[in-house]
Amino acid sequence: MHEHIKERIKTVIANLNALPSMPEVVTRIINMVNDPNVDFKLVAEEISRDQAITTNILKIANSAYFSKGKEIASVEKALVTLGMKEVKDIVVVAATKQVLDKPVIGYDLAKGELWKHNVAVAMLAKKIAIDKKKKNLADLVFTGGIIHDVGKTVLAIYVASTFKDLIQSTVDNQITFAQAEQLLLGFDHQEIGQIILKKWQFPESLQNIVRYHHDADDAPQSDMEAVAIVHVANTICQMAGIGIGGDGLYYELSGKAIEATGLDDTELQHYYGITPELLKMAKQIM
Amino acid sequence: MSIELVNVGVAQLKIASSPVILRTILGSCVGICIYDRNKKMGGLAHVLLSKATNDSQPEKFAETAIPALIEQLLRQGCKRDFMSAKIAGGASMFKFASQTPLGLIGENNISMTKKILEEKKIPIVGEDTGGSVGRVIDFFLEDGRLKVKAGGHEEYYYKV
Repeated sequence: MHEHIKERIKTVIANLNALPSMPEVVTRIINMVNDPNVDFKLVAEEISRDQAITTNILKIANSAYFSKGKEIASVEKALVTLGMKEVKDIVVVAATKQVLDKPVIGYDLAKGELWKHNVAVAMLAKKIAIDKKKKNLADLVFTGGIIHDVGKTVLAIYVASTFKDLIQSTVDNQITFAQAEQLLLGFDHQEIGQIILKKWQFPESLQNIVRYHHDADDAPQSDMEAVAIVHVANTICQMAGIGIGGDGLYYELSGKAIEATGLDDTELQHYYGITPELLKMAKQIM
Repeated sequence: MSIELVNVGVAQLKIASSPVILRTILGSCVGICIYDRNKKMGGLAHVLLSKATNDSQPEKFAETAIPALIEQLLRQGCKRDFMSAKIAGGASMFKFASQTPLGLIGENNISMTKKILEEKKIPIVGEDTGGSVGRVIDFFLEDGRLKVKAGGHEEYYYKV
């Protein structure tokens, strides 16, 4: 079934030009974060060369969420005041907005809904990492949260033409929507997302978050914690209806992922209960 | 003349009159739409959870939001005798480990909503709840009808 669509998707993902693009500077900055010898001045110069990104970066850096009340007038100041990892997160928000802040027809998401969802997931994931004393994962899960659904932007038109069959398949086979995508279209939005991140040359840990955010049980051990945090944050935001689309809640909440995050039932309910406050925060940087 | 469309966010409660349309998007949350057919006025409460733990925001919880909604409508001159309710939402994750309460939030929201409406003697005349679908609901105060868009198709509930 849908063999011609499978073939078309194969053609699209084989053609890098057909996939969303990412300014090179963003890839360089994401990879710099993991380099202990990185020179702040070099990074600032690197970013400042792209005028459009710089303007957006400063706008986002001055949101209450990132600035925490301090005025940030330049990229260099941002690096000194907020640190390399925060600036990396800001760069990712600025750069991915153009890819994600648009209507996603097949998943029935109006303009802004996917973007809102991803920003909310990023913020919640970061909060969970910090609350659970996994501060070293905070920036990784934030970036992962921001881009976890990027594959939907490419798969959407094929989901649009097969939507009824996809839903029917979840019910008939008792499988998740992502599994139905795989079955009917040959790929799910996680795999397409990973292919896009490969094109962008984003680090493997980010690729794993995108690839396994619904299949946390299968994530490589090295990235299990980060994947689990994004999985839980994503589930909570979906349940709260934040950017919920036609695929609804046709997914699985993994017990193994919950265990990996170390969150208990009270904490999980608490995070679900604070989603209205989370949304207010997300709007600051949208 | 275009009819005003008002978005009701998570944990918000809004009331309005004909011909306003109140819209909200629901996952596990429940949307409670109460309509006074005589006054052509109504309100929508979008609740996240069934009952409060230590949170003070009444709009978040079915147990406190529904009485608040009824109270606001009464204050605007609506009469309990003319009121009816339609409810939607309360979806659950398609699959979840059976011991996790997070998976039961949708169901708990529905049962608390029904319990409170029964206590307040507001009849439920339309219901579109459960399952694993996300729902976009439009509550038309012109005649109290409710449109539920879920999983790519639309359903109307006309009874008031």
